[in-house]
Amino acid sequence: MDTTRMNRRRALKLMGAAGAGTLLAACGFPAFAGRSSPGRVAIVGGGFGGATAAKYIKRFAPSVDVMLVEPRERFYTCPFTNLYLGGMRDFESLGHDYRELRDRYGVRVIHAMAEDVDVPGRRLILAGGETVSWDRLILSPGIDFRWGELEGYDRAASEKAPHAWKAGSQTHLLRRQLEEMEDGGTFILVAPDDPFRCPPGPYERVSMVANYFKNHKPRSKVLLLDAKDNFSKQGLFMEGWRENYGDMIEWVGRSGDGRVIRVDADALEVETEFGEIHRASVLNVVPPQKAGFIADRAGVADESGWVPVNPRTFESRQVNGVYVIGDATQAAPMPKSGFVANTQAKVTARAVIADLAGDAPPEPHWVNTCYSVIAPDWGITVAGVYEVHDGELREVPGSGGVSPMDASPDFRRREARFAEAWYAAIAEDTWGTRPAV
Amino acid sequence: MKSYGGKTCGSRKARILGLSGCVAFACVIVAALASSGPEVSEDGDLLAERAEVIAQSCAACHGTGGRLDTAIPSLAGQPAAVLSAQLLAFKRDQMPGATVMPRLARGYSDEELEAVANYFASLTPDADE
Amino acid sequence: MDLPRHFSRGILTAAAGFALLVLGAPSWVNAQGRAAWERIDAATELLDGATPRAGSIRLDLPAVTQDGSSVPVTVEVDHPMNPDDHVEALYLFAAGNPSPEVAEIHFTPLAGKARITTRIRLDGSQTVVALARTNRGEWLAGQRDVRVTVSGCLSQGNSSDNSDFMQARVRPPSRMAPGEPGEVRTLINHPMETGLRKNPDGSLIPERIIEEFRAELDGEKLLAARFHRAVSANPYLLFFVAPGRHGELALRWEEGEGAGESATATASIPD
Repeated sequence: MDTTRMNRRRALKLMGAAGAGTLLAACGFPAFAGRSSPGRVAIVGGGFGGATAAKYIKRFAPSVDVMLVEPRERFYTCPFTNLYLGGMRDFESLGHDYRELRDRYGVRVIHAMAEDVDVPGRRLILAGGETVSWDRLILSPGIDFRWGELEGYDRAASEKAPHAWKAGSQTHLLRRQLEEMEDGGTFILVAPDDPFRCPPGPYERVSMVANYFKNHKPRSKVLLLDAKDNFSKQGLFMEGWRENYGDMIEWVGRSGDGRVIRVDADALEVETEFGEIHRASVLNVVPPQKAGFIADRAGVADESGWVPVNPRTFESRQVNGVYVIGDATQAAPMPKSGFVANTQAKVTARAVIADLAGDAPPEPHWVNTCYSVIAPDWGITVAGVYEVHDGELREVPGSGGVSPMDASPDFRRREARFAEAWYAAIAEDTWGTRPAV
Repeated sequence: MKSYGGKTCGSRKARILGLSGCVAFACVIVAALASSGPEVSEDGDLLAERAEVIAQSCAACHGTGGRLDTAIPSLAGQPAAVLSAQLLAFKRDQMPGATVMPRLARGYSDEELEAVANYFASLTPDADE
Repeated sequence: MDLPRHFSRGILTAAAGFALLVLGAPSWVNAQGRAAWERIDAATELLDGATPRAGSIRLDLPAVTQDGSSVPVTVEVDHPMNPDDHVEALYLFAAGNPSPEVAEIHFTPLAGKARITTRIRLDGSQTVVALARTNRGEWLAGQRDVRVTVSGCLSQGNSSDNSDFMQARVRPPSRMAPGEPGEVRTLINHPMETGLRKNPDGSLIPERIIEEFRAELDGEKLLAARFHRAVSANPYLLFFVAPGRHGELALRWEEGEGAGESATATASIPD
């Protein structure tokens, strides 16, 4: 107890007055590794995890040097790409830049690809050979795909049967295919086994495709072939599908022979575990996943392909001084969501600052809320509050859970409105994007 | 479409403060309390730190520092008595029309919710400083 | 500070490797210094004083899972499968379940390899244990820890309809490399009621499970399994057939007292 109190005092001293720090930062970037800096933190990945970590370290401790390495100058979020596919959202509204982090918070944003990590030398190697030195490293690399693990589904196949599980050209490709499809066609989505990015994502995806079909191609069908028998918010999704789309959406779970074991992207055919062949007009395959490749380069991923972390701080269990947040981590029961990456980033920001000061990290605490939009006036949520208990992450007993079944249309409509408001807020909190008024 | 504007009358916090129910009145008292200096106990210090850690998660829906005002309301600078009464009402399922907040509020002790309310009340509603 | 371009990735990775912290004791010893099978009465009864050779069974299951009702597990015994020396029986236990017996599989050399995949129920974080007995009476053992986390994220859909009850599915081997055992996948739609669940009115739902599974190739015994209630709903079993075998695969699932379902398929496994 005593040490914790001491820690807070010391941490406060280190953090200084936020306002003064920001002023200093605005007057020109502090000298690199200057005596006044308590340390250099390099962050790889400018998504929900990395951008939030950069901003919050500067908010909490403006004198820490923060370098954010992200190749894209404009980042498009995975969340809400389904709403774009469903015709509810403009793609550009999902893009965010780094000006606010740079100009307002004093983050040094480096638009380059991080290619390797020199752990003993505490350096990040960028494409082109430049290096970034760090005292602490935070990786927020998101996911990569396990190409070829699902037979027939490699990078080339994804140009014909898109995954659209990272926002960008794949999202546009899928949208174009949906637009070019004849009315009366069949959209097939292949959903993977756990763990994967955005557990409710495949189910929101088919909802939004059905929304598009309902408005433009009402004779079309949606088939969801699933490697699982249970999925996130299952009862709510099925209720929402029935109420909004009748029998347009069919879901086949693993025990109903829904698990796909082979993809033929040229023929737009898939084969299930027990030998059934399904042919699609538009085929969307969400492939098996793993932590983004830089996690491998840093030696923080284990044989599962994901990153085991110390639950209090999200420091790697395998490499000291390297912290990993977001989808790349093994953080169950927290889901791989943008919200979770954002909340993990803030806890880890405090832990890194405490570590630089030689202090113990504060007691951690995380939250998640995943909104899914089934139809323009039909939103649902799952929420959770998380803590460390006996050295393991767990959901705080009695907290969390999903929206009620059989709720009123007004309840569903409000959760749909709140979904839009949530997106505006997390974009502001992560990148500083001001919502369009 | 705000889910705010709940009653403070009869809330535990209001009773603790000896209030009979007027939000504006609570506002004045709380503002006075908040400006009464930095003297806090060591336990209070810990709880304040805990509140900061908890509050940083709220930003994902309410904006950084709880300052974004959309269909989801802003929190910064709201009267502590109002915020804490609402959080406790969420936790006890006494907030008609509430959606996700009851499920989140049940993850905290009453003391934590009150500390979070105090934290947001202490922030200026203007832009992140 | 720039790193020379010729500084190889290999060196960096090797250096990173040195920085790794190696965690954990040998996998077959728990914190108290005892193998997990020693704490399971059903396992010690089976062994009857014999000491199994530890570490010779590989268990593959996720280190962390959020759905304890259906945890995929692959068990492979590192042992020959020839008529003179082969694995005869494989026993699977979940040390932390109310009743630890999960399944037992009886192999013949016709199986080609002593490897199966199934899905099991785990009542919380625990150690999954496997024991195997060879035809020469030798015992082998393996174990693996698994963490089961509870999450509100997975709400059961209660979507189970009975339309496909007792529907049997089989996938005979296809497209395997010559000389390799061929893979057979089987599944039957069945709730595997544990007898522990309650109806909405509070009454217990009676236990009803598939107790036995048998596979024969042209009338010759290939594999037999006994399932306990810790085998997940819609029992799934993946097993193998030795190379060079062609014929009719006959499968039979039984609830006990003769009620059951059968399926057949043609299997052709190249030499």
